[in-house]
Amino acid sequence: MSLFSPSEDWYYKKVSKDEKMWILISLVLCLTLFVWMVLWHVYGKQNTSDLTYRTSTAEFTKLSEAYIKINMVGMDNGVPIVRPKPNSDVFVLAEMWRWSPILILEKDQKYKLHISSKDVMHGFSLQPVNMNFQVYPDYDYVLTFVPTELGEYKVICNEYCGIGHHTMIGKIVVIEKDSDLKQYGYDNLKKAPEVITTNRTAPLTEAEMVLMGEQIYNLKGCVGCHKTDGTSQLAPSWKGLFGKDEKVVENGNITSVKVDEDYIKESITDPKQKVTVGFEKVPMPAIPLTDDEIAQVISYIKTL
Amino acid sequence: MFRTCDITGFKVDLQSEKLIRYNAVFAVISLLLAVVAAILLIFTRYQPVHLLNAEWYYRLLTFHGLNALIFWIIFFEIAGLYFGSTVILNTKFCNPRWGWIAFALMVAGLLMSNTLILMGKADVMLTSYTPLKAHPLYYLGIILFAVGALVAVALFFGNLMIARRDRTYGDTLPLFTYGLMTAAIIAVITLASGALIYIPTFLWSLGLIGNIDAGMYKLIWWGLGHSSQQINVAAMVSIWYMVSFLSVGGTSINERVSRSAFVLYILFICLASAHHLLTDPGVSNAWKVWNTSYAMYLAVLASMIHAFAVPSSFESAQRRWGYNKGLFEWLSKAPWSNPAFASIILAVIGFGFIGGTTGVIFGMEQTNIIVHNTIAIPGHFKGTVVIGTTLTFMGITYYLIPLIFRRKIVGFKLAQWQPWLFFIGIAILSISMIVLGQLGVPRRHWDSTFSGGPFTHNFNPAVDFFWVLMMLGGCIAFISTILWILIVVVSVFFGPKVNGPQDMQLTVSPLAPEAKSHKGFEAPGTLVLTFIFLLVFIALFFLNWKWLAATWQVN
Repeated sequence: MSLFSPSEDWYYKKVSKDEKMWILISLVLCLTLFVWMVLWHVYGKQNTSDLTYRTSTAEFTKLSEAYIKINMVGMDNGVPIVRPKPNSDVFVLAEMWRWSPILILEKDQKYKLHISSKDVMHGFSLQPVNMNFQVYPDYDYVLTFVPTELGEYKVICNEYCGIGHHTMIGKIVVIEKDSDLKQYGYDNLKKAPEVITTNRTAPLTEAEMVLMGEQIYNLKGCVGCHKTDGTSQLAPSWKGLFGKDEKVVENGNITSVKVDEDYIKESITDPKQKVTVGFEKVPMPAIPLTDDEIAQVISYIKTL
Repeated sequence: MFRTCDITGFKVDLQSEKLIRYNAVFAVISLLLAVVAAILLIFTRYQPVHLLNAEWYYRLLTFHGLNALIFWIIFFEIAGLYFGSTVILNTKFCNPRWGWIAFALMVAGLLMSNTLILMGKADVMLTSYTPLKAHPLYYLGIILFAVGALVAVALFFGNLMIARRDRTYGDTLPLFTYGLMTAAIIAVITLASGALIYIPTFLWSLGLIGNIDAGMYKLIWWGLGHSSQQINVAAMVSIWYMVSFLSVGGTSINERVSRSAFVLYILFICLASAHHLLTDPGVSNAWKVWNTSYAMYLAVLASMIHAFAVPSSFESAQRRWGYNKGLFEWLSKAPWSNPAFASIILAVIGFGFIGGTTGVIFGMEQTNIIVHNTIAIPGHFKGTVVIGTTLTFMGITYYLIPLIFRRKIVGFKLAQWQPWLFFIGIAILSISMIVLGQLGVPRRHWDSTFSGGPFTHNFNPAVDFFWVLMMLGGCIAFISTILWILIVVVSVFFGPKVNGPQDMQLTVSPLAPEAKSHKGFEAPGTLVLTFIFLLVFIALFFLNWKWLAATWQVN
């Protein structure tokens, strides 16, 4: 009858016993589900957070860079490592395409993670426990975690964030005592280059320039795409780069340039001007660096 | 200009029939584009083959999403709305000229957006979360399509007004058209949300607006993204009732109950976009609990009501035809050789057991933590939109070919197999995706070995098995979809003409006889089936909450 008007008394037809029964069961089930979610906030241990701060990408990036600079205890594959104190605020930055820093946490301790993005949306996916959270730019999302099991965990990105999305993977290590660090190769962490005070008058030595350059390379995220081991998946590797002849696209024409100070400086301040052949599809963002910082990066590249 | 259908007796407005045909043809084209992309995507994610490069993987993923979820579904729904508001109501199309304008806008939108995607100017996924930015013409294409669809929905209401004025259908709208009307109302809400977000985004891509807040974008975009799935649900359930009538002469055992359930959809579905913000910053827990439960699950209740009302309409009719033995004779003696009937029953099962259960569980505030953005999410909506809506649309097409296109179905034997093949394929695909997601595998991810990253992660070794399953399921589904498209295209363009009832390959059942007064249960078989469903749901429910309880603590 569904294609014709129903019979005249359709509105007054009694609901059959079985249908009534089913509707009642369904209603009870629905209300139970609703109450269940509310009760989990009281008795459950896994609830998303209510706490969000408004921030900006620039502000949060500064915050997280400063946090890493002060607390860094070493590096792993180009990603800084931080070992935060229990109950402290931890700043985790998502950017195209890396998570920083790596965290060393203690089991059953509380950590307040502030997570935000430097550019587009990202997905914070903690594996293999499989907990997933959305990461926004301009929102500082505060999640208080208590790691309940020892081991090495990965943070993968599960929100599409551009062509290098699949390379975005970070690490969290959960330990109970210092000796646990050994199994992760973190037992004698190379101390990061000391922060060199900027208000001294003597110019930096070449060795200091290189150290500063390496720090910028890691902190500003160059390491996300430019590798130093000779592999060039997303961007040209920096290994042996200085002094090389590179084929680049300039204004649609392919030309050859020598990689020198001027070329590197231009590539940092205006990356779209000359794009290395083969990487036209992976645009590099302009990185705001001072002239001194650029000089330090160049010193670093020269050593590779 | 009318013709009177010699099979059903309905008066068919020829202008309307033409519009239905053209919209349906574009639906099929969109589906073809979507599945060709889909098979390439499957063989990319299946790591041993890893077919496409990263760039084309994300490009075709965007392409697949847009064509499958938007173009295929909405073109078909517009055809359905025209059918339900003119043919079923014996009335004429209110304004065919605007019908063609709407159609032209939608086609222009389809061409524009698809071209921009394939040119590589819009690698932003269907959701296009800001601040990812596509070419302005990509957004404009979607806006054109949405405006066209909105005009079509307005025409649907125009047709209803004419039919009401001319009293062409009696006092009360037929249930099928009533369901479509709820779909149309939800469509207005949905398309309004779409305009609300795509227009500013378009202006932003042109540089006229400085910033689109990522949180606001996501909230309003899902007012389009999720609510549009509710158009599908309402349209799909309407078709279920219609096929019950066409195949066994059944009807809802209580129309008041069925219609109330449709009203529940309208009232509570607009809260649905909240599902997508469960693990997001910026919204409070109280907001999440209230909205994600559609105000205490009242829209879920509507689906639960239909879950009983639809099968019971088949059961009740079959029992009145005399298939009264035991609990399930009505089912075993059902017209299984009718591909439309088979499609609908399989769609009901798939939608309920795969899409429905996971939908409710994944959509609860806390359990969302263990599935958000994993491949379990597309796994879930393969269970709703693909097994549910798409298979339903495929099924009803077997009636539309003889009744609207006036052609016999070529390869009827194959057509009888096709729904089963499709069901099996998508069920395997969907379930393996859900399992993969529960093991942590992300969606929209080109390389789950993380090549080029500073570290790597090895998923639970069980994933290898489910990747193979997913690939197999995808292949079966792909083959059966291509089979369906071939049957439809060959029948419509080259099939022998239908000249009367003798050429009908599918049964058009007369109304089932009136029931003798009966006591007790009207549909005991259905009640047993719904209880089985309930048990499956409860089992999955506790499994997921147990997994959640085993994770780290967070608040």
